[in-house]
Amino acid sequence: MFKYAFCTLTLFLSCNLNLTLGQSQQDLREEENIYNQIFNAQLKLTDGKTTTIHGLAEREPLIIAFVFTRCSGLCSPYLLQLKESLRALSRDNSKPYNVLVLSFDPEDSLSDMSYMARQFDLLNDKKWLFAVTNNITSLNKSVGFHPVWNPAIKQFDHDALLVGVNSQGYICKKLFGIRSEKDISLLISSINNEYTPTYQLPSNTNLFSCFKYDPLTGKNKPGFGLLFIALPAILTIVILIGIRIWARPDKKLNSGVTS
Amino acid sequence: MENIRLRKITAIWIVAVLVLFVAAITLGIIMRLNQAAIMKLSPAGFYENMTVHGLTMIGIWFVAGMAAVNFIMERYVKTSYSANLFAFIFTVIGVILLWVSAFVGKFHAGWTFLYPLPLRPLWDSWSIVLFLVSLSILGVGWLVWTVSLMAALLRKYSISQVFAWQHIGNKNPEIETPPFVLISMISLLGVLTSLIAAVVVLVLLFWEFFSNGTFSNDPLLMKNLTYYFGHTIANEMLYLGLAVIYELFAEISGRPKWKTTWYVAIAWNLTLFFVLAAFLHHMYMDFAQPQSLQLIGQFASYLASLPSAAVTVFSIIVAVYRTKIKWSMANLLFIIGTCGWIIGGVGALIDATISNNFVLHNTLWVPAHFHTYNAMGNVLFSLGFFYWFSVQYSKSEVTNKLQSLKIALLILGGIGFLAAFYIAGADSIPRRYSNYPAELAAGKSYALLGAVSAIIYLIAILMFFVNISRRCLSMLFAR
Amino acid sequence: MQHSILIFFAILTLVIVGVFVYVYLSSVNANEESKGMKNALHKRGWFLLILVVVLAMFASITIPKSPYFAFANDTPAKVIHVAAGQFYFMMSYNAIDPKNPSSDPSIEVPVNQVVEFRVTSLDVNHNFGIYNDKNVLIAQTQAMPGYVNRLRYKFTTPGDYNIFCLEYCGSGHQVMRSSFTVK
Repeated sequence: MFKYAFCTLTLFLSCNLNLTLGQSQQDLREEENIYNQIFNAQLKLTDGKTTTIHGLAEREPLIIAFVFTRCSGLCSPYLLQLKESLRALSRDNSKPYNVLVLSFDPEDSLSDMSYMARQFDLLNDKKWLFAVTNNITSLNKSVGFHPVWNPAIKQFDHDALLVGVNSQGYICKKLFGIRSEKDISLLISSINNEYTPTYQLPSNTNLFSCFKYDPLTGKNKPGFGLLFIALPAILTIVILIGIRIWARPDKKLNSGVTS
Repeated sequence: MENIRLRKITAIWIVAVLVLFVAAITLGIIMRLNQAAIMKLSPAGFYENMTVHGLTMIGIWFVAGMAAVNFIMERYVKTSYSANLFAFIFTVIGVILLWVSAFVGKFHAGWTFLYPLPLRPLWDSWSIVLFLVSLSILGVGWLVWTVSLMAALLRKYSISQVFAWQHIGNKNPEIETPPFVLISMISLLGVLTSLIAAVVVLVLLFWEFFSNGTFSNDPLLMKNLTYYFGHTIANEMLYLGLAVIYELFAEISGRPKWKTTWYVAIAWNLTLFFVLAAFLHHMYMDFAQPQSLQLIGQFASYLASLPSAAVTVFSIIVAVYRTKIKWSMANLLFIIGTCGWIIGGVGALIDATISNNFVLHNTLWVPAHFHTYNAMGNVLFSLGFFYWFSVQYSKSEVTNKLQSLKIALLILGGIGFLAAFYIAGADSIPRRYSNYPAELAAGKSYALLGAVSAIIYLIAILMFFVNISRRCLSMLFAR
Repeated sequence: MQHSILIFFAILTLVIVGVFVYVYLSSVNANEESKGMKNALHKRGWFLLILVVVLAMFASITIPKSPYFAFANDTPAKVIHVAAGQFYFMMSYNAIDPKNPSSDPSIEVPVNQVVEFRVTSLDVNHNFGIYNDKNVLIAQTQAMPGYVNRLRYKFTTPGDYNIFCLEYCGSGHQVMRSSFTVK
């Protein structure tokens, strides 16, 4: 019977027990352009240097955030959220990356970008680079980003987009919208070429999932459903002990076991 | 010690198993002939046939093992006749409903009825309900039987005695646990676990079916549970057969009875544990399964082979090697069955290796290996018991006519039938195809070889059937 | 690969049958004085030890070759999305929307470069089995509803490759197929 307990235990311990709830949203556009090489745009950085996206990525894998400084909507909260997520992750995540905040607005100048960096208190953070480029159309095309200028409100209609680029210059992952720490962490893993053979699609009807994918560790964690796998073994032990208690042996019989 | 009532019910079990065996082999031959394009079934007809063939075979060889274990257990403890009869009635009802759900209701989700396939609208909804009900009836009958046999053992032996723990580290313990008791208990526990897993699967399926879309299951969980049940019961029914061999081999051979030793005790206790984790090897190609479980699957499959090979098989070899033995049909079947079991085990280990599974999974290699340790292993264990039983307890005389012919046909048919599976599996022919596409047309020739050899195997089985059931029936009608 | 597995299996089978026949014959030829096996426990120990070593070697050689670790450090040159359903495979360069699935008319895959198949199912369990132009199964992964399995593979010979379903999925299982070209 101890073997049963051990077996059950192994099933649990094989991945540490931790229920993770909440699932990332699946946006099909995130599957587009994956593993394409990103357009090698020329960049002007706020420190005055010029470089290219591939050149930057070669140093450290890149997270590219697309913004424009006149934005009165999405850009600020989205950048703030990214900053907070990365700060939270830096505690238990040692994988290298740089963040490139890139303007997609041709009107933006380098000083606009410096101002933005200062606003977010990121001007002197070595992991954060703010830049403008002259090749934004080609770059947008290569990552599947389509901002549209709306003259009525003098704003771009645009998505919050993060693009992950590995050190070979390939797009490994894209995230649309303001996303959780876990998704950001998955992004960092994938630009560091970490391969996970599976991911789960979002579903609201599955009450009992065996495993929940946890992007923090890149592993699946047991969900409620695993209890069901342990159940037969647990019930067997219970029944075994139950029968033994119920069917207490007679002492007379017991002495004749060797017959 | 065996009483007349138990003898009669065992005789009924034997006849019922053999009748259903002949019927299920015939279904198998029809499937192979259809794959060879000699017969023409509709695809649905083929898969109904396949569903019934699989479940019937699993069912009958499980109950054959149980009936044999129940019969021999009476030598040590008092077993319950009513539980035995109850299981028989429920098995008959369950099997009839099962055949109706498939052949009348057109239900054909395969014997593993892998979620969510049974719930798809490919057949009438009454047939899925009938199918699930038939499995529930079988499950209830078998659960009651299993628990009653466990209770019979536990009334006499304590938990540590029934697992022979007192033999570990003690050469001559005060109370000895016969190997038969140890192995029966280990197998019954495994059976109990797998039946409970089946109950969980059935409850979850019923729940979703009657929830009108408000509840749905997780496919990965359901797959794990399905193989937890399916793999484990297929494995444990073989161990029921081994329990019988441990009891009868020496007896039939005219040798001193086998005793439990420390290594027998350790080996079987370990087997209990390894076998329950081995089912994970069915999910290798589900990358969604965590890798740690995949590796546990490969290690558990490897480890499960160690106690059986180093203890059971080695014991049989030691018992036979350079030892004068009274060879009869029964112990010949036992030793041939052991050989078949090992060969099937090697085929299984090859497939339980993840990197091999990548190119063998769900090809005909899979039926190849499990037919080896069933048709040429477990079936022979049970057939050996049937033969011994029918000779032992009937008054009609025993003729040794045709004995070598029977064995020769059995082996010849078995080899051809299995080789067709193995070679086709290595040739990438998928399993469970009613007809083969042009690219895989080689499958047709293998199917024909398989069908012809299976007919030879069937002839041998029919000869056993006539011989054994004649004696069993005479036993039934004797006073 | 399958053929070497078959030969390996055949050799082991012959050895096992040989041992059993030899043991059986030794019993048939035995007389009353025969003493059986000497030092059986000792031999059993050696047998177990050899078996453990062989299996451990086997495990250590094969486990690193498991598909979960294949090309894990590469960046695939191309992603092919696969959605399986009763009884078809949809393949596309773009993600397939489960609510409105569509596929590309023909799929081309680069030779000698790592490609990634992202395989899922729209209904029941299926299996995405890749057969080369000699009809040999070379790679597979399950297609399970609710999960996406990522299969990475490097094709080294150009040609037409077939896809067959390798998980029983209903009465059309045997006609479920697709194909792509490696160039």
